[in-house]
Amino acid sequence: MADERTRLKRFTPVHRLWHLGLILVFMTLSVTGIAWMFFETPWGRGLANLFGGYVNVLEIHRTAGLVMLAGFTSHILYMIYRIDWKGFPRSLLGPETLVFQWVDVKGFFRHLGWVFGLNKLPHFDRWSWWEKFDYWAVWWGLIIIGVTGLMLYNPVLTSDYMPGWMLNVALWVHRIEAVLAMGYSFTAHFMIEHWRLGSFPFNAAMFDGTLDIEEAKHDHPEWIARLEKEGRLNEALVAPPPVPLRIFYFLFGYSIIFLGLFLLVFAIANAALLTLF
Amino acid sequence: MSIGRTIICLLVALLLTSPAFGQATGTPKDMAGTGYYRDQDTLPGAIRFYSQLPGGEGGLWGLGPSRQKIRRSSFKMDAHDEVADYSPEVRCKKCHIPQTKDLHYLRMGITCVQCHRSQPVAGVYHYYSSLNPIRRHAYVCAKCHEGATPSFASYMVHEPNPIAPETRGSFPLFYYVVWFMLILASGVFLFFLPYTALWWIRELVAKLKGRPDHG
Repeated sequence: MADERTRLKRFTPVHRLWHLGLILVFMTLSVTGIAWMFFETPWGRGLANLFGGYVNVLEIHRTAGLVMLAGFTSHILYMIYRIDWKGFPRSLLGPETLVFQWVDVKGFFRHLGWVFGLNKLPHFDRWSWWEKFDYWAVWWGLIIIGVTGLMLYNPVLTSDYMPGWMLNVALWVHRIEAVLAMGYSFTAHFMIEHWRLGSFPFNAAMFDGTLDIEEAKHDHPEWIARLEKEGRLNEALVAPPPVPLRIFYFLFGYSIIFLGLFLLVFAIANAALLTLF
Repeated sequence: MSIGRTIICLLVALLLTSPAFGQATGTPKDMAGTGYYRDQDTLPGAIRFYSQLPGGEGGLWGLGPSRQKIRRSSFKMDAHDEVADYSPEVRCKKCHIPQTKDLHYLRMGITCVQCHRSQPVAGVYHYYSSLNPIRRHAYVCAKCHEGATPSFASYMVHEPNPIAPETRGSFPLFYYVVWFMLILASGVFLFFLPYTALWWIRELVAKLKGRPDHG
């Protein structure tokens, strides 16, 4: 029996649900936002027509934006609930939290050194520097894109609280942050999480909540060592999910990956046709 | 009243009519009115939105589009009267190319005359122009944006190129914020794209060597 338990518990059902929700809302916002951004090109008009033209595309974009902000709010409330306030602020530190610490700065530079063949691969604990970056990038992105998105949601109302020309600024900030978020997710995030040799072709950790023990030994040896030392490794090991579920995760994941790559390739191909300057 | 005096009265009335009314496509009321205001639109600070000549201001206001260069023709009844080869038959786009690169024109298909009205096209700061800041919100913006306010009407439909050096002087906040975002975004791409590629190659090298990488 013990042989079947090849995966290490990593994400709770709540974490996975948020990530799934984030994927669905992010992709809805990406498709509708790109359709609007490229509306003057035949490709953009085609995308918009799938949603019933630009009026509907904008309406869906606005509604999905509110859903995303609601999800972000619920995440912040969850975080406030989960923080150990008795031990605060020391409880924010340690290997189990996503807070950037000195160890991440060291981890980053040692990883950089490893890529250039200067030293051995550093031993990461539960969260490596790039996983923390991924997490906080969503925070900074949601704050920037959420504030500007809310400003643009009802421009007439917004201009009661600030000069109307702030909307010129907000729209460009919204666009650039959108390009950054999509560009990063559809290249670096997919590459790091799914296409590195150890993870290729698909890393289902965020979907089934567990990480393959061999992958964990490569990317998070310090975490395994710590679990072993604390005598918690055995209870953290689980069997892989049933095959139909794994097939479903794979198909869902790759349909999202292909949608992202489709948007990326066609957006780059059509970028020269935009005449917004 | 004799017929002769009636004719003289009519002639005087015709001659005294402001030439500005000649451009009217709407009613004269449109031209003379100063729009619709709510209480907050008439508070002391709100005067900035109606100012005929934007000037340097402190604080956030100084970072806005307050130092735009305004052409003399923007105050004229006929903005084109000094343009030698001007003809109403020529499409606006032939000369005003930068003014066609914005959301209103490109995405919404709004034509020039829907805001600037027909011939002769008045300068936007001419007293009777429908685009004069004292009435722009009510007579132009509110045609589509219900409840448009003077503040809302200070949105720049023909916005400058945010990264152009001139914009640093004419609309500083726009220039600095857009540059900040561009540097942030390109910084992320310039680091992560080459880095993930090198990382991938490094893992391949380790696999081919068949040695554990850990120290």
